[in-house]
Amino acid sequence: MNRRAALRNMALIMGGAIILPSCLHDDKGKAVVKLNNLTVDAEQEKIVNSLTETILPKTDTPGAAELGINLFVFKMIDDCAGKEQQADFITGLNKFADAAKQKMGKPFVDSTDKERAAFVSSVEKLGKDKNYKDDSKLMAFYQMVKGQTVFGYTTSKYFMTKQVVYELVPGRYNAMFPASKATV
Amino acid sequence: MSTNTYDAIVIGSGISGGWAAKELTEKGLKTIMLERGKNIEHIKDYVNANKAPWEFEHRGGRTQKMIEDYPVLKRDYPLNETNLDYWTNEKESPYVEIKRFDWFRGYHVGGRSLMWGRQSYRWHDTDFEANLKDGIGTDWPIRYKDLHDWYGYAERFAGISGNRDGVPILPDGDFMPPMEMNVIEKDVQKRFKEFYKDARHFIIGRTANITVPHNNRTNCQYRNKCWLGCPFGAYFSTQSATLPAAMATGNLTVRPWSIVTKILYDKDTKKAKGVEILDAETNKTYQYFAKIVFVNASALNSAWVLMNSATDVWEGGLGSSSGQLGHNLMDHHLGVGAGGRIEGHEDKYYFGRRANGIYIPRYRNLNGEKRDYIRGFGYQGGGSRENWSRDIAELNIGGAFKDALSEPGTWTFGMGGFGETLPYHENRVYLDKEKKDKWGLPVLAIDAECKDNERKMRIDMMNDAKEMLENAGVKDVQGYTTEPVLGRGIHEMGTARMGRDPKSSVLNEWNQVWDAKNVFVTDGAAMASAACQNPSLTYMALTARAANHAVEELKKGNL
Repeated sequence: MNRRAALRNMALIMGGAIILPSCLHDDKGKAVVKLNNLTVDAEQEKIVNSLTETILPKTDTPGAAELGINLFVFKMIDDCAGKEQQADFITGLNKFADAAKQKMGKPFVDSTDKERAAFVSSVEKLGKDKNYKDDSKLMAFYQMVKGQTVFGYTTSKYFMTKQVVYELVPGRYNAMFPASKATV
Repeated sequence: MSTNTYDAIVIGSGISGGWAAKELTEKGLKTIMLERGKNIEHIKDYVNANKAPWEFEHRGGRTQKMIEDYPVLKRDYPLNETNLDYWTNEKESPYVEIKRFDWFRGYHVGGRSLMWGRQSYRWHDTDFEANLKDGIGTDWPIRYKDLHDWYGYAERFAGISGNRDGVPILPDGDFMPPMEMNVIEKDVQKRFKEFYKDARHFIIGRTANITVPHNNRTNCQYRNKCWLGCPFGAYFSTQSATLPAAMATGNLTVRPWSIVTKILYDKDTKKAKGVEILDAETNKTYQYFAKIVFVNASALNSAWVLMNSATDVWEGGLGSSSGQLGHNLMDHHLGVGAGGRIEGHEDKYYFGRRANGIYIPRYRNLNGEKRDYIRGFGYQGGGSRENWSRDIAELNIGGAFKDALSEPGTWTFGMGGFGETLPYHENRVYLDKEKKDKWGLPVLAIDAECKDNERKMRIDMMNDAKEMLENAGVKDVQGYTTEPVLGRGIHEMGTARMGRDPKSSVLNEWNQVWDAKNVFVTDGAAMASAACQNPSLTYMALTARAANHAVEELKKGNL
């Protein structure tokens, strides 16, 4: 599926609640994604977009941005997360931005793919440290984004039709199906 | 008045109401089925049934708005984006919880027959004799032999798939071919059998999903979207099965938006002469008259209708003379079990989404065994293979991680117990004096809890689950348990129990209200004990049996 079609489909799925990210570039302060409960500015929005792409980058298959997963992440945090979680999301997002800048000497979004991946891997490692206390909510933010990115990707039309075999009407049950790609 | 007169009135359109309508109309009775909620038309109104997962805005999840709107439903799995319309609006229809009681309701044509779990098991004489043997509650006025033929009758029409396993405690039925176990379930079953021989059994679930075409219904397509309504009519619901049969007779009228507020009692004849309804859309009151009334509003609402039918003869409501109306509320207690990982079979998967699992029938307190509690429990469970949710070491972001998400993950096996709850007189519902619903009608107060017997049973329920899985070769077994909450099993029972004596029961052996013999209650309210099997098949059998009796009595001029 080409990128524009993917985004268009995503926009349709979202019930027209968002506009296409191709309009993103002209805007300075205001976020493009339309949200009802969460307030993010353009900088914060770019960080989340970039983070989803770092988690699931474009390779020979589409990445998060191309599939509009970033929009799904915002949609889910905006509609489904509670007030407290949403506050943690923003607090953690700011902390994430600060920590990235401190570590790489430049904003997360201005870093190279490799630098971003290294930084996010360090966050992953931190999350596995039993002594780590998430007072800054950085981990809460990261896990929300990662969780929804993976959820959005694995339930996307692209994934369920191109990466695995999803049939709306399987019509039969084969209890001894050979495992290559997952059927879902 | 003549246009409002029928031979029979059925209150409610769920599993038992649909059966009552089918049986009564097929026997020639002009019948009106009154449903308090909206109509849901088979196939046409299953608006989400043909959507792919990615077509749901939140992929089936729950929004904050939904959580606010459904303070009870949110407590468990039913609150979700895909079939939200099938669950009762809690703001319009509140109730009072003296103690926490998770009441998950469906107010529409079909009731919870659209959302039910479909597991269908017969009872055994052990279950019917339990109250008598234990000196608990009241003795069932019937035994297995009284229901045996009706079970078969219900199974043959509803279409129950299952294996004839020959388990003594869980009688085999008239089954369609069973669904198949997947590779690890077969594996676990083999080791289970080696360990437990015939002392315990591990069988495929018996489910009201048809596996061969039946009565113009298409066999199960393995979509696992049952609770959205099945466009193939592959699982039993009012819409797929009993309603078309009843409509085909030309004898059925269905009236949605009809809240039955009371049964009209005639003190001269000592019978009901009809019902009064409130039109939920117009708020207008109407009366309908009939020779017999079947009350199938679901256990708690059937009790509500009876209680709200108080007269100067029966101040506590119709059927209240024994002092048992609204009492002895039961459910199945659950939220306890175990799960773990299965090694091997990496080269195997399964295709299709089987809306069924495995079942381990009750084995405790049988054959002379005496635990520190009475009665028993069964388990439902299943094996599945994880995909994206697994943790991939050192591979948590990036292109390789993305690729790994589409590879099958670990095989897991899990199961949860369904435990019998005893009929405690003090576990009850009653009309709240202050709170009113959207229509100004009194609402139910629910005061019920699990007690010592259930709590002791739950210790076995978790430990046995762990032990059995370990003995069957499951690795990294983890048990779990939760604070038991009634209602959560969605198997409300007992608020108008059957019995042998009008002094201690609301209904007689034919589900007739002792105080008004032409009123029949054949839903969960009628149950004198709960057993641990899923109850709906028993409601079907009881309803068909009672309807048959009602028509026979009517013909004899006894009603």
